[in-house]
Amino acid sequence: MAELPIWQYDTLFLILVLLFGITALAMQNLMGAAIVFGAYSFLMCLIWTTMGAVDVAFTEAAVGAGVSTVFIVATIYNTGVSAIPKSPRIAFKIFAGLIAIGTGAFLLSALPDFPGWGDPKSPVNSTVAPYYIKNSIRDAHVPNIVTTVLADYRSFDTLLETTVVFIACIAIYSILRIDNAKSKVTEPDIITSPPAYDPTDSLIIRQASRIMVPFMQLFALYVIAHGHYSPGGGFQGGVILGASIILLCISFDIKHVLQHWTEKKIMLLTALGVLIFATVGLACILMGGEYLDYGYLDSVLPGDKAYARSHGILLVEIGVGITVMFSMIGIYINLASNGRFDRGL
Amino acid sequence: MLLVLIRVIKGPTVIDRLVAVNVIGTKSIVLILFSGILFGQLDMFVDIALGYGLLNFIVSIAASRYYQHRRSLEQKGKIS
Repeated sequence: MAELPIWQYDTLFLILVLLFGITALAMQNLMGAAIVFGAYSFLMCLIWTTMGAVDVAFTEAAVGAGVSTVFIVATIYNTGVSAIPKSPRIAFKIFAGLIAIGTGAFLLSALPDFPGWGDPKSPVNSTVAPYYIKNSIRDAHVPNIVTTVLADYRSFDTLLETTVVFIACIAIYSILRIDNAKSKVTEPDIITSPPAYDPTDSLIIRQASRIMVPFMQLFALYVIAHGHYSPGGGFQGGVILGASIILLCISFDIKHVLQHWTEKKIMLLTALGVLIFATVGLACILMGGEYLDYGYLDSVLPGDKAYARSHGILLVEIGVGITVMFSMIGIYINLASNGRFDRGL
Repeated sequence: MLLVLIRVIKGPTVIDRLVAVNVIGTKSIVLILFSGILFGQLDMFVDIALGYGLLNFIVSIAASRYYQHRRSLEQKGKIS
């Protein structure tokens, strides 16, 4: 392979990322800051692609472009757009500055200890990675090593990551969700007033998203199911599925979506994904193996032991996808409607 | 791309920034495909580009919804 001009690209992108970060922090208008952070995530995605980390880039693309900025916009919608900084005392400013500089110097002092980029002798490249690279195809018939590492060799980590997403969703529910009938807290008039515009007025957006949503969902299913061979997997596919429903929430309105996906269904399905993951693990114990050792599922799943692992990965990815999808939807609806489930952006 | 970056960083209004970020998103798709050609594995990068293409516009719609709502409130005189 020819020498790639990666170093120059990385420097350019890193400078731009730094510039965007400073711009976003210096901005008083929170909406502007949110949008600049959108550009920030585009550039981060480009940095991942120049490093060849396609799965990470895909996650960054799906999360950064699809949902995170929408979450921020929904939050701003319910809180307010301008950040009026209280000017703190000068002693406090100096103290904070010293802490920031100290931490920065401390981190920089560790920099010379890092191995060089792409150094074959570095600990990352010399301990377990060669095993994964050599044995991924033999063990699980999966050419995309990232998927094997994520969902097979290190499936405990992934199980806990999925649980973290689930817990985050539960936390947001428990903080924001308000039962309208029982609530005694009245919101300020600005927020409670229903939108004055007719939500049916934007014909182009409604029809365009009506056409787009099935394609997005089809693509997301492809990403989940084809994660063995191409970048992608449960997280990315789940985020895209969630983003398609969020698009419906934005272009129609939340009530329309909640007619099909009631709150109860969304909660149950969020839990179902984690349940699928944990059940696959438990089934491996029942078949005589260790927790999440899919090889022992070969008597129920078609194919030999390696194919059983491949199918086990697929089952687990489906669980991850379901949890991530419905977590995203639940979080968005809570943020956009301030926990009341009756209106949105 | 650098001209658009000026709009993002300086951009007098938020709307300028919104449009500029959208343009950056579109250019990112092309750049991702270019780096796919550089790596000689275009098939891996097409998926990312497709995902970008499908998701890129959601933020813009959300932001425009926000401004639509805000304008309607301003017309009613609820906020200045």
